[in-house]
Amino acid sequence: MIWLGWRQQRTETLIAAALLALVAAILVPSGIEMAHAYTRDGLAHCVDMTQGPTCGNVVSSFEQRFSKYTALIGWFNLVPGLFGVAFAAPFVLELERGTHRLAWTQSITRRRWVTTKLALAVGSTVLVAGALIVILVWWRAPLVRLDGRMDGSAFDSQGTVIFGYSLFALGLALAIGAVWRRAVPAVMVAYVGYFIARIFTDSALRQHFVAPRSLTWPAGQAQPAAVQHAWVISQSVVGPLDRATCLKQGAASIKQCLALSGGSIHSVFVPASKFWVLQGIETGLFGGIAVALIAFAGWWTLYRE
Amino acid sequence: MNAIRTEGLGKRYGMTWALRDCNLEIPAGSVTALVGPNGAGKTTLLKLVVGLTRPSAGSVDVLGLVPREDERELMPRLGFVAQDHPLHMGFSVRDTLSLGRRLNPGWNDDLARQRIEHLRLPLERKIGQLSGGQQAQVALTLALAKEPELLVLDEPVAALDPLARREFLNSLMEAVAEREMAVVLSSHIVTDLERVCDHLVILSDSRPLLVGPIEELVASHRLLTGPVADPAEVARVHDVVRATHTKRQTSLLVRANGHVYDSVWELHEVDLEEIVLAYLGYGVAEHEPRAVTR
Repeated sequence: MIWLGWRQQRTETLIAAALLALVAAILVPSGIEMAHAYTRDGLAHCVDMTQGPTCGNVVSSFEQRFSKYTALIGWFNLVPGLFGVAFAAPFVLELERGTHRLAWTQSITRRRWVTTKLALAVGSTVLVAGALIVILVWWRAPLVRLDGRMDGSAFDSQGTVIFGYSLFALGLALAIGAVWRRAVPAVMVAYVGYFIARIFTDSALRQHFVAPRSLTWPAGQAQPAAVQHAWVISQSVVGPLDRATCLKQGAASIKQCLALSGGSIHSVFVPASKFWVLQGIETGLFGGIAVALIAFAGWWTLYRE
Repeated sequence: MNAIRTEGLGKRYGMTWALRDCNLEIPAGSVTALVGPNGAGKTTLLKLVVGLTRPSAGSVDVLGLVPREDERELMPRLGFVAQDHPLHMGFSVRDTLSLGRRLNPGWNDDLARQRIEHLRLPLERKIGQLSGGQQAQVALTLALAKEPELLVLDEPVAALDPLARREFLNSLMEAVAEREMAVVLSSHIVTDLERVCDHLVILSDSRPLLVGPIEELVASHRLLTGPVADPAEVARVHDVVRATHTKRQTSLLVRANGHVYDSVWELHEVDLEEIVLAYLGYGVAEHEPRAVTR
C-alpha cells in the first residue's frame, strides 16, 4: 500500500521538490552573499549597540543593500500553502476518478487505504516544510541577529509555524476535496482559504495570543532593552508635542523636537522573549485545525457511502 | 450454498430509493446476468454486494459474510470490476499488476502474466494508451488474479464495441470454465448474455422483477398468438407478462403454469431476449435489441 501511495503521488512529490529547488536557487546565493557581508563588515559586534553612530551606519547600509531580498521574502509565505495543497491532490484525484474503488475492492481494508494515503500526505508535507524552514532560517540568520525575528515576515518564516501553515493547507484541501471530489477546484478553494486564514492571523489574531507589554520612556533616551527586537504593535508619542513650538525652539528633527518639548514614547509590544510562546500557539492552532480537517476528510471518505 | 443472499435489501439516496424490497438468492457457481434499464438499481445492488455502500434497509449476505462488516475476510474472496473499469491511467500495465500483487495476499501472478501475454499487451504500455476493450481486459485480469470465489462485474461491456464485447465475454467464459466461481454481471445490453450466463435477475424500477435459472425461464415462457381476444381467460391459469393487440391478432407473452391446452392459441417458443424485453415493457412483436443508450 505504501508503494501504491508513493507511486500515486510521484508527480506531486516532483512538483514539491522543484518548488523547493526554486526556493533554494533564489535564497542560497543571496544567503551566502549576506552571511559573507555580515562577517566582512564586522556586524557581529554591532548587534547589541545599534545606537552607536558608526555601527548605525554600517547596519543601515547592510540593511539597505539587502532590502530587495527582505522585500522578496514576503512572497515565500505562498510556499507552505502550495506544499500543502500539492500533497492533498493525489487523495482527491483518486476520489474524483473513482480509482479508490479499485483499491477498496482489492484485499486491503478501506481504513488501511485511507490511513496510509493520509499519513503519506502528512509525512511528505512535514518533510518539505522542514526543508523550507531550514533554508529560511539559515538565510535569515544575519538579519535576525540585527533586527530580531518577531516582526511580520520574519516571524512567519522562522521556527515551527511553517509546519502548521502547510499542514493547514493540506487539511483544508483534503477536507474540501473529500466532500467535493473535484481536485482542481478543491485545491484552488483551499489555497484561497489558506491565504485568508494567514492574513487574518497575521493582522488580527496573533496580537491576542499573548498579553502585550507596554512601556513609556522619555523621548530623548535610548530605547529600553525590553523593546529591542520586540514586535511593536503600536507606538505613540505622549506629552506636549507641538510642531509650532518645536520649530520656534529651532528643532532640527522630530527626535530633537520630542526631547525639547519633554514628550515621551509609549510603546505596546510583545518582547522578543515571547517568540517561542507565540510560535507554539500559532503552530498549535494551525496544526490542531489541520489534524481536525484531515481526520474529517478520512472519516467522510470512509463513512459517507 | 448461496454466493449472494439478500433480504428486504434497500438503498436510499436522499428521498429516492435506488433499490428496495430486494429478495434474491444467487447460487454458488452460477453465472448470473443482472439485467435492467439504466437507473434500475443494478449498480447500487452490486455496490452493496462488494461493500462500496451500506444498505439503508434489509441485509445482504455474500459468501456467508456481511460486506463491509467482514471486509477483512470477504474482500480477498471477491473480485470486482467497477463500471467504466477505473484504473490508474498513468500506470503502466506492469505497475497495474504490481498494484494487484501488493494489495492482494492471494494474488496469482502467473495467471495475471499469462493473461496479459495472451492479450498481447506490452507491459510497459500506459493504461491510458490502451483501448477501452484492452482496459476492460486489464481490469478483468486484476479481478481474476485474486482467484475470487465470487466475481462481480458492473456493466463490463457497456462501453465496448461489439468485437471487444465478444472478446471480453469470451475471456470471461474461459475463466469461468477453468475455475469454480460464481459470477454476477450487470448489463443493459441483453445480446450475448445468454451465451455466458445461466441465471437471470431482471431489475426494474429499483425492484427485482424476475429471478431464476435461464433454462427454466425460457422453458416456462411462451408466446401465444391468435385472433383478437381478451387475455383474461389465459390469465386465469397463466401469468400474462405482456399483451399486444393488432387489428388481426393478439400476442401474449405468458409465464405458463403447466401446458397451454387452448387450441385457439398458437404456441411459440421465446428466447431470453424476448423475455427480458417483455418484462421491461417493450412490445413482444417489436423485439429488436433495444439497448437503452445513455
